[in-house]
Amino acid sequence: MAAVTTSAQAAAVHHDAHAGHDNYAAQLRMNRLGLWLFFISEAFLFGGLLATRFYLWGDTRPELDQEIGLIVTSVLLISSVSMRLAETAMERGNRKAFSFFILLTALFGLIFLGGVMIFEWGLFPAIYEGHLTPWGDKYGAVVFAMTGMHALHVVSGIVFIFIVWNLARKGSFSKERHWGVESCAIYWHYVDVVWIFFYPALYLIGTAAHVTH
Amino acid sequence: MFNRDGYGIVVLIGIILAILTIIEYFMGLYHVGATLLMLVAALKAILVIYFFMHVSRLWTAEGEH
Repeated sequence: MAAVTTSAQAAAVHHDAHAGHDNYAAQLRMNRLGLWLFFISEAFLFGGLLATRFYLWGDTRPELDQEIGLIVTSVLLISSVSMRLAETAMERGNRKAFSFFILLTALFGLIFLGGVMIFEWGLFPAIYEGHLTPWGDKYGAVVFAMTGMHALHVVSGIVFIFIVWNLARKGSFSKERHWGVESCAIYWHYVDVVWIFFYPALYLIGTAAHVTH
Repeated sequence: MFNRDGYGIVVLIGIILAILTIIEYFMGLYHVGATLLMLVAALKAILVIYFFMHVSRLWTAEGEH
């Protein structure tokens, strides 16, 4: 009798575990779909900014430092690589490597942000004298609108990274279940994808216009 | 040669992205048209979306442990 009860209990536990797995898998599918729908809605925002750039600037662009553009773009691309390495580390249960790579990603994000604030916005004239202002002309307005909206997403990505890093430190994720890490990584890559289109639009396309204020 | 979810493929994609960015930079210096520049950008975006953002997980059960 006892053996029968134990066997029934084991079957019930197995059934519960299986149902739990199914629930998690279904939830994960919904989470992924929701995140991508969010990206599609965001694409309209960034697409609108790109359209504004082509409408107002045509085949011209402001005089921006090409080397700075290449450097900040490279930093953001490297941050995407380090973020993917962090996610891979979590998938393999290597928490030490995860912490290292995700914090490295945040550092690259901060460097990118610093580059934008110093060299594109000219917020620190003692270091670099910028020549664009948001109210100056169509070049300044578009540069600040595009980089400003993108920088806002970089800032939220960095905040997201620190939240995920802190949760991981407390043991909230496992190599089997880490949606928080996955969503943070995908969000960060999305911010990178946006910049992949913004970089040529701002720095490379068209001839530099000589603007006098 | 490379496991799609391994460290090696991540580094390889990173190198390809870096090469494409340098190509873009020189295309910009030599005033190549907007269409070609946007095509290179689209290629970079596809690499990131496919290999880093796991878009294929939307229609597969990958990662559902």
